[in-house]
Amino acid sequence: MGKTSRITIFATALMASTTWAVYAQDASKAIKIVLPEQPANLEPCGTIITNVGQILSQNVTEALTVIDAKTGLPQPKLATEWTRVDDTTWRFKIRPGVKFQNGKDLTAEAVAFSIKRMTGGTMTCNNMAKFGDRKIEATPVDALTLDIKSDRPEPIMPTLLSVVMVVSPDTPVDKPVNDPVGTGPFKLASFDTQSVALERFDGYWGAKPVIEKANYVWRSESSIRAAMVETGEADLTPSIAIQDATNSETDFAYLNSETTAIRIDMSKPPLNDLRIRKALNLAIDWEGLTQLFGDDVKRASQMAVPGINGHDETLKPWESDPAQAAALVAEAKAAGVPVDSEITLIGRNGIYPNGGEAMEAMVAMWREAGLNVKLTMLDVADWIRYLQKPYPEERGATLLQMQHDNNKGDAAFTIPIFYRSTGQYATVSDPALDKEIDTALATSGEDRAKDFKMIFAKARNDVVADIPMYHMIGYTRVGKRLDWHPDITTNSEIPLANIQLKN
Amino acid sequence: MLSYIGRRASHSIISVLGLLALVFFLTRLTGDPSSLFLPLDSTLEARQAFARLHGFDQPIHWQFLNYLRDLVSLDFGQSVRQNRSAMEIALEAFPQTLKLAFVAMALAIALAIVAGSIAATRPGGFFDRIVSLVSLTGASAPDFWIAIVGILVFAVSFDLLPTSGTGSLAHWIMPVFVLALRPFGLLVQVVRGTMLSALSAPYIKTARAKGLRRKEIIFGHALRNSLLPVITVAGDLTAGLVNGAVIVETVFGWPGIGKLMIDAIILRDFAVVQSTILVTATAIFVLNICIDLLYAVLDPRIRY
Repeated sequence: MGKTSRITIFATALMASTTWAVYAQDASKAIKIVLPEQPANLEPCGTIITNVGQILSQNVTEALTVIDAKTGLPQPKLATEWTRVDDTTWRFKIRPGVKFQNGKDLTAEAVAFSIKRMTGGTMTCNNMAKFGDRKIEATPVDALTLDIKSDRPEPIMPTLLSVVMVVSPDTPVDKPVNDPVGTGPFKLASFDTQSVALERFDGYWGAKPVIEKANYVWRSESSIRAAMVETGEADLTPSIAIQDATNSETDFAYLNSETTAIRIDMSKPPLNDLRIRKALNLAIDWEGLTQLFGDDVKRASQMAVPGINGHDETLKPWESDPAQAAALVAEAKAAGVPVDSEITLIGRNGIYPNGGEAMEAMVAMWREAGLNVKLTMLDVADWIRYLQKPYPEERGATLLQMQHDNNKGDAAFTIPIFYRSTGQYATVSDPALDKEIDTALATSGEDRAKDFKMIFAKARNDVVADIPMYHMIGYTRVGKRLDWHPDITTNSEIPLANIQLKN
Repeated sequence: MLSYIGRRASHSIISVLGLLALVFFLTRLTGDPSSLFLPLDSTLEARQAFARLHGFDQPIHWQFLNYLRDLVSLDFGQSVRQNRSAMEIALEAFPQTLKLAFVAMALAIALAIVAGSIAATRPGGFFDRIVSLVSLTGASAPDFWIAIVGILVFAVSFDLLPTSGTGSLAHWIMPVFVLALRPFGLLVQVVRGTMLSALSAPYIKTARAKGLRRKEIIFGHALRNSLLPVITVAGDLTAGLVNGAVIVETVFGWPGIGKLMIDAIILRDFAVVQSTILVTATAIFVLNICIDLLYAVLDPRIRY
C-alpha cells in the first residue's frame, strides 16, 4: 500500500470518527424533530395539513379556542370566555395583554382580520374545509370583544374556531405565506428546503416553555427517522411504521383520530339490500384481519373515535359470523336480489400500512360468503372520484376503502358528511335520517351527544351504510432526553410548550 | 468544432421542446390536481374555485397555448404546492444532485479504471476474482437495501456516520459510496473486457518487445485505447444519475432533483414536473455534447 493510500484511509477514518459531534444533539434546550414530509409552505390557514400543523399549531400560531384531547371540548386560548348571544351569534372575549411576535397587540380587529382572510376566497385555505358550506362574519364590538355571526344556528362555533389561526394583520390576504406571525410561544427563525427553525418568543403571554429552539427536518423513510432518534441525531419523530416501533422505552402507541372503514354504495344492487350489507360486515374474520394492523388497534363500531362528542362507547363492533353471512346472501338470492352481480371494491394505494393486504383478504372472505367482489386499487387522484359527490355515473356497485379523520371534538365533523343525503361522502338517502341529523346539529350540550349516539346506532344497526374497521394507532418515537407523550392531537399538532426535558 | 456544437445545440432545442410538449399533455392526462391539493372534506365549490384559480378548468389546448406564451417570456409557471416559481425550485435542487452525481461518478470511474486494468493483466487470478465478485455485487444489489444496511451498520450500530441529511463532509460518505457502487460494478467489467482485448493486440506485443515497463504498457498504451467504450458507458450512467438519484436522495434525505421530480409527479404539481424535466433534459444534452467532444480528444481519428 502506497503512502498516499495510507494517508487517504487514515484521513477518512479520522473524519468519520470526529464528525459525529457535528450532527449529534447536545444536552441543551434545543431539540430536533424529524417529520415524514416537507411542508409545502408555512401558511397558518393550512394547519389542518399534518406537516404544517405539527410545526405551526400551538407553537407559532394560536386560535381563539383549543380542543381538549381528553374531553373533546373547546378550552380558552386567545379567547378567555364566550357566550351565545342568539341562535346565530356568538360573542368572544379576547385575552388582554397578548402580543404578536412582531410586537403588535392582539385585538378583536386582528381576530376579525384573520377570519376574513380565511373566508375571503382570495386564496386557497385548507382550514376552511372544516366549515363546510357555512358562512361566518366577524364584527368587533370593542377592542377586546368580537361577535361572530353564522348563516345558520351553530352550537359548536367555539369548536369550529379552533381551526382559525390568528395571524398578524400585516399578513397578506391574497397568497399563502412562509413567514407567519402569530401569538404563539415560538417564532419562526428560518425556513428553507432542508429545515424549519423556531425559537422561543420572549413576549409570549403564557408560561415560558422549557424548550428554547426547535429545528424541524424531514425524511420520508420511517426506518431512517426512527434511526435518527435512536442515534441521538433527532429527539422526536411522529408516525413511524409499526415494524420500526421496536423499542418500548422510546416508542409510544397512541390512538390517533383516524377510523378505517369500507363505505357501501347503497344506491346500487345488490348493495341496496340490507341483508347484503349486513353479510358484508359479518363475513369478515376480524380477529385474523387485526393481525395486519397490530394488537394496539381498536375495533370500530362507528366512524368517530372515542373522546369525540357523540361517540357511543356502548355500540358494539360487528362480530365475525361467516355462516350467518352466507345465510343472508342465500336469503337475498332467494328473494331475487342479484347477488351474483359484480361488486367492485375500490382500494387506495398507500392509504395506510397493509391496506392493500387487508383489501385482498376481505375480498376473499366476501367471495366465500357467496358475493362476487373484485378488487381495484387506485391512486389517490382516481380514488377520490369515488369518494366524493358527484360520483362517476358508470361506477356500478362499489365498496370504497376509506379512512376518516376527526380530531375536532364533535361528531358534527363526521355524521353529516357520511349519513345526510347531501353529505359529500354519503350514499344514504333517507329524509327521516336527514331530519334527525339536522335536529342533532342544532342542539347543544348533553342532548347533542345523545342525538349523535342515536344516529351512530341507527347507522350501525338499521342503515348499515358502511363497514367500520378500526380506530387506528399511531407510533411516535420520543428520544430519551424528552419527557413527552403523544395523544390524539399529535397528528395535527406537537405543542413544544408541552415538551419537558428530563434531568 | 463550433459548427458541430451549434448543430447539436439546435437539434437539442427541438428535442427539448418536443419533450416539454409531450410531458405537458401526459401530465394533464392524469387528471385534475385539485383533488390532491385540497383536504378530502373540501366542498365542491372550493374545488371548483381552486381549479379556476390555477387555470385547470380551461380546455387543455388553451392551457398549452398559455404555457407556450409564458415560456417565451421565460415564465415556467408557479408551483401549486409551494406557491413560488417552479423553475426556482428546480434550480435549487439540481446543484445538489449534480454535485452528488459527479463526485460519485468520479469515484466510480477512477476505481473502476484502476481495478479493471489490474484485473485484466491476470485474468482468472485472485485479484480478478475479487474484482468480479465486488463488481457483480455492486451492479446487482438494490440501492435502497445497500443504503439502509449502511445506515444500520455505520450510523446506528457503530455511530461513525450520520444517518442522513447534509451539512458536513461525513454526510457525503454514505450517499456517495451507495451511489457509486452500481456504476463501479458496471464500469469495472467494461474496463476489464476492453483491456483484455487491448492487451492482446499486436501493438502491445511490440511495446513489450521494445522493453517498455509494465505500468507504461498498461496505463500508457492499452488503457488509452480502451477508454472509448468506457466513456460511452460512463456517460450513460452519469446521465442516469443527473436525472435524479431518487432512491439515494429519498433514503438519505438529500434535497436533490430526483426526489423533487417524483414528489411533483405524485402530487401533480405540473409546473414543477415540467421545470425539473427541462433542467435535467438540458443537462443531459450538454453532457452528451461534452462526451462527443471527449471522444475527439481521446481518439485523434475522430474530427467534427
